[in-house]
Amino acid sequence: MKKIEIGHGSGGRLTRDLIQKLFLKYLGSEELKPLEDAAYINLRHHHAAMTTDSYVVRPLFFPGGNIGKLAVCGTVNDLAVSGAVPRYLSVGFILEEGFPIEHLEEILKGIAESAKQSGVHIVTGDTKVVEKDKCDGMYINTTGIGEIVKPLPLDNVSVGDMVLITGTIGDHGTAIALVRDEFTITANLASDCAPLNDLLQPLFEIDGLKWMRDPTRGGVATVLAEVSDVTGLGVEIFEENVPVREDVRFISDMLGYDPLYLANEGKAIIIASHESANKILTILKKHPLGQNASVIGHVTSKFKGVRLRTKIGGERLLDMLEEDMLPRIC
Amino acid sequence: MDKTNNIIKLIHSLVPHDKKIRIMNVCGSHEHTIAFSGMRSLMPENLEIIPGPGCPVCVCPESDIINAINLSKIDDVILVTYGDMLRVPTQKGSIRAEGKNFRMITSPFEALNIAKSNPGKKIVFFSIGFETTTAPTAGILEMGVPDNLFILSSHRLTPTIMEILIKDAEIGIDGFIAPGHVSAIVGSNAWNVFSEKYGIPTVVAGFEADNLLLGIVEILRQLKSGKAQTGNVYKGVVKPEGNTQAQKLMEKYLEVANVNWRGIGYIPGSGLELRDKYSSRDARKVFELKEVKEAKIPGCICGTIILGKAYPSACKLFKKVCTPKTPKGPCMVSFEGACNIWYKTG
Repeated sequence: MKKIEIGHGSGGRLTRDLIQKLFLKYLGSEELKPLEDAAYINLRHHHAAMTTDSYVVRPLFFPGGNIGKLAVCGTVNDLAVSGAVPRYLSVGFILEEGFPIEHLEEILKGIAESAKQSGVHIVTGDTKVVEKDKCDGMYINTTGIGEIVKPLPLDNVSVGDMVLITGTIGDHGTAIALVRDEFTITANLASDCAPLNDLLQPLFEIDGLKWMRDPTRGGVATVLAEVSDVTGLGVEIFEENVPVREDVRFISDMLGYDPLYLANEGKAIIIASHESANKILTILKKHPLGQNASVIGHVTSKFKGVRLRTKIGGERLLDMLEEDMLPRIC
Repeated sequence: MDKTNNIIKLIHSLVPHDKKIRIMNVCGSHEHTIAFSGMRSLMPENLEIIPGPGCPVCVCPESDIINAINLSKIDDVILVTYGDMLRVPTQKGSIRAEGKNFRMITSPFEALNIAKSNPGKKIVFFSIGFETTTAPTAGILEMGVPDNLFILSSHRLTPTIMEILIKDAEIGIDGFIAPGHVSAIVGSNAWNVFSEKYGIPTVVAGFEADNLLLGIVEILRQLKSGKAQTGNVYKGVVKPEGNTQAQKLMEKYLEVANVNWRGIGYIPGSGLELRDKYSSRDARKVFELKEVKEAKIPGCICGTIILGKAYPSACKLFKKVCTPKTPKGPCMVSFEGACNIWYKTG
């Protein structure tokens, strides 16, 4: 078995081989092993959170991760920022005929490691194969189920709340931009792709925690523009408090990107009451993934939309952009 | 921040209450800093900072791009040029969409290397830009280019276009922020003509917001005193005489020509082409390139924006159908284009 064949998606013997030899080797949880049509799962609470996401990142391998790691982290993070403990994951593959098995194996390792790190079980899956040139190597869909500990609806957000970010922004977007073939710049820069549940779970106990979101496509600016859109409130961000790596700043300047609009895969925006912001910051900073956490702004009723207070004290509107600066980022 | 506040206070105190002051920058990187720092929001109402012709990609004639596309379709030709050029739209599409054999480079030295490692191919270097990119192109010619490297020179001269802008009463420029990188090559003395002949204060500035603000202060001071001269707040990089070595090389290999600016038209003595002596390296001559008539892009006002007669927001295509992903006009393509910068900064 060196390459994916059309038969690997037929549901017949080849599919069975692929599942037994590869998928179960890496992803074999107790729930997955029976290989029934549906997995049986247990939830301790009656209230569950569920989310789904498809991953079409190009290229499939990038500094700091691969599409498999991304597919687990992305869905785990969607649950974690919703105030849930991620528990179960489904993984669906769409593979292109001829896809090298050794690449698939690397990607499965990425899935297994991230699942282990975040404590989720992969309980069900699916594989389809399409003809050569009908997809770009592979696409992955993951669906996640988590147990709700603290529901965090956007209605919670009110005037005077503080806005925090758990670390440097734009790392993922810049890392992907760099490995796309059209650029000849080299830099020692990796995607921030990581499961955030371990970082964020301790915050569920804090009363003032109001809302969280992982700023993936469209970046921090787009997420905050959505907050403003839905709440009708304004968000003011202070440029000098927004953590951006020196190399990310340099490269995005050169390539004409704004880190505030670049994707992140291991960061969360947190909105919390004024009183609890420092406490949250202290907790975040103790975790390896939260060392560069920072309070970057606040919620206000003085205007609608998102405004950036620049380093020189100027003001710049952070509008929602009509389109991604960088497509197929996740 | 305190220092910045003081400079801004100074600017407010220097701008008259009864008169509008219009200062133009002629450099995409300056416009980038101005827009991204929100500088305009800190300026007094009577002070306008206008983006001018600071984007070389934007003014590159459509004819040259179409010729480049056609060259890339010749079997043994590889067209090489800067990244932004690949996406500039023309009536025949962009190089990226319609071209065949092309590669992106970030410096002329890469063109040289590609030529050396592809001896069986003809490498055409589509060399565009103001003085900043002209100098290294002259540099590779001086180093000695292999027989299979040809230059399609579409270089433009900054001082010439600035002089055209001064003469245009419709624009009404009170002062220039002179481009830092171009000044490093041509020297701050190259701008003396503006103060001496036209009484327009012209100040060389760098790319940090504070430095640009200081440049604006200097212009305003000169306007207040009524004595225009060439100023320089970027002295660490820009010398009065500039880079004389680079100037000599440009002079040796290139000569001034009457050239077309996209959306603007022919401007006498505003471009640089290879001297006859080096015609064996000149892609225009070797491949016998013919001029293609420029087609107007319906609704696009890039030409007007480049001349500082309109802001990007005045274009009815801006942000609606013309975006960085689907640019209708050249100013939306390049990171140095006013429309591209304004799209990103609201």
